[in-house]
Amino acid sequence: MTAVHQFVPTLAPRDAVGRHYLAIQETLRAAGYTSDIYSYEAKDEYKRLARPYASFAGSGHREATWLLYHSSVGSPVADFVAERDEPLIVDYHNITPAPFFARWEPALAGNLMKGRRQLATLELRAQLGIADSAFNAQELTELGYERTSVVPILLDIAELDATPPDPKTLDRLTDAKARGGVDWLFVGRLAPNKAQHDIVKAFAAYREIYDDPDARLHLVGASSSHQYESALTAFVDALDLGGTVDITGGVSAADLSAYFETADVYVVASDHEGFCVPLLEAMHHRVPIVAYAAAAVPETLGDAGLLLDSKDAYTIATAVQRVVTDPRLQDQLIEAGAVRLREFDIAKSRRKLLDALEPVVGPAS
Amino acid sequence: MPDDTVDIHKLAAEIEAEVRARRAAGEYPPGFERELDQLFDRFAPPEVSNDFDAALERAEDLVIVDPVIPVASNSPVLGIVKRVMSKLIGWYHVWVAQQISGLATAINTALRLLGGRVDDLEHNLADVSRTRAIGARIAALRDDTAWENQVTDALRGCSGRVALIECGEGALLAALTSAGVDAYGVEPRAVVADVALGRGLEVRIDDGAAHLHAVGAGALGGLVLRGLVERAPLGDLLLLIDAAALKLGPGGRLVVCSMRREAWGHGPTAAEADLVPGHPLHPDTWKAVLPEQGFVDVQIHVAGTDAYVVTATRADA
Repeated sequence: MTAVHQFVPTLAPRDAVGRHYLAIQETLRAAGYTSDIYSYEAKDEYKRLARPYASFAGSGHREATWLLYHSSVGSPVADFVAERDEPLIVDYHNITPAPFFARWEPALAGNLMKGRRQLATLELRAQLGIADSAFNAQELTELGYERTSVVPILLDIAELDATPPDPKTLDRLTDAKARGGVDWLFVGRLAPNKAQHDIVKAFAAYREIYDDPDARLHLVGASSSHQYESALTAFVDALDLGGTVDITGGVSAADLSAYFETADVYVVASDHEGFCVPLLEAMHHRVPIVAYAAAAVPETLGDAGLLLDSKDAYTIATAVQRVVTDPRLQDQLIEAGAVRLREFDIAKSRRKLLDALEPVVGPAS
Repeated sequence: MPDDTVDIHKLAAEIEAEVRARRAAGEYPPGFERELDQLFDRFAPPEVSNDFDAALERAEDLVIVDPVIPVASNSPVLGIVKRVMSKLIGWYHVWVAQQISGLATAINTALRLLGGRVDDLEHNLADVSRTRAIGARIAALRDDTAWENQVTDALRGCSGRVALIECGEGALLAALTSAGVDAYGVEPRAVVADVALGRGLEVRIDDGAAHLHAVGAGALGGLVLRGLVERAPLGDLLLLIDAAALKLGPGGRLVVCSMRREAWGHGPTAAEADLVPGHPLHPDTWKAVLPEQGFVDVQIHVAGTDAYVVTATRADA
């Protein structure tokens, strides 16, 4: 029997990467591998699903044992696996470049720099680098990883239908929609690299040039930076957009579903994304997408959205106007989204994972 | 593709062209976007990368760790628990906070002393960051007609987008687009860029090196370096070449437009030569450096009496 144990910084519910870890465990176990999850911290209902990383003592000689480390931030777990003797595989979910956070959250920037240093150190031991996207794989290659495979994040799209929209939130959003105006949506943690401030600029330009005072912008997601959140809120207030730009903070799955249900357009202005899971959610909820073509966004989006080379405010505003006023274009983008989504079908991704792992770790038994 | 299907790549290009046309017609004043940028910057913390004094002041603002334990809570019960805990561990918290504050103050003081020594050195050897800042504000006025033909010939038929770094007021960029090259400009000086934008050209207001850093690997079909190559210090130039090698796709074309060293510092470049940290390289230096970064077919072309053009091709992967 071969064991592939996962080592993760944090295992948390309502987190795409957290669900990815569990889906990997399920896939490995179904293929006959022994697989447990060891974490630095596990939260809420996921606490019982992971063991403390420091409690891992190896499997002795009973079975061949591999460690699969998930890299997304600096973590003592990386130092732990670096010191172990078992062969190592790194699954890279991207570490946001520290300069994005340097002026906002110096401590977090330091942690991100540490994460990149750890990723470089692990290259010496890693027999394989798995990456969510070719963009991430390229970063691994630049760090010296000789063998890499692209395996998209294991996301069960059908799970998104398991939670119906929260009726109260849906009513509130639907009532607002009845008064007219276009609903813009972006979902993601409030973070400088996700550039919610640039979406606000584009939204301000849109209201200005297309005379749509009832338009609303919903920025959904918890905060990664208190300073950035404060600046964004102050910026919105200074533009006198407090009544139309809704910075929601973290929301439940049911609330999130309601936001997608009522959105007219999903807008992305991120400067850096390693994969961008919410794009898949927007495709699933049949919301047309307008996105700035940066980092892994073009790769994840494919032809399922209007990709822009420039993210200046007028360009995004004009693109949004085109999309929301052209039903034929909307239909095309939505249908392209449905097709694109099939590329990320979890069964396909599970197969890709095993195809990447099996030649390296060998058969399950 | 069925007839009624919208070509979204074409549509994206049309949208960007429409925005450029509206800018050129004065319908979209460039000042509006800059006002938005400036407004947001008012609420953002200062950049830490360039200004040593600002970074140090920020560190000094944070140096004293607040010894008061926060006890506010939305829940009355939790509030009581927090207050009790605060009473129990307050003395220890104050002790730890004092240790950390002491250490941070000592480090900051040492940094201040070090900063003072660097200041002294810079005053003696010329303040690099200050000269860079002054140099960056000076518009690089160059006679683009000197190299227009060579640049256009080198890029004609180039597949993929072509970035022209430091496009200035857009004369060379206009010549390239007229020749059918899918080119856009990058210009750090907003006032200069506005002239090019006003001509209906596609221009990003950004620092050339920062723009290249943000472009995806292998995303460019061609890259023209102008102005910056005569003004940047050697270290920055080498980083620029690294970035060019990374951002150009296989077979991508690199074109460098530069004055000759002999002509540098006379006429319109006299002030620049005094103030900027760099100077034009000898053409043979490009010939020596570019192959090391995977460029092939490096050629030097004479452009009038005072300038030269280097063309090179990114080798296939």
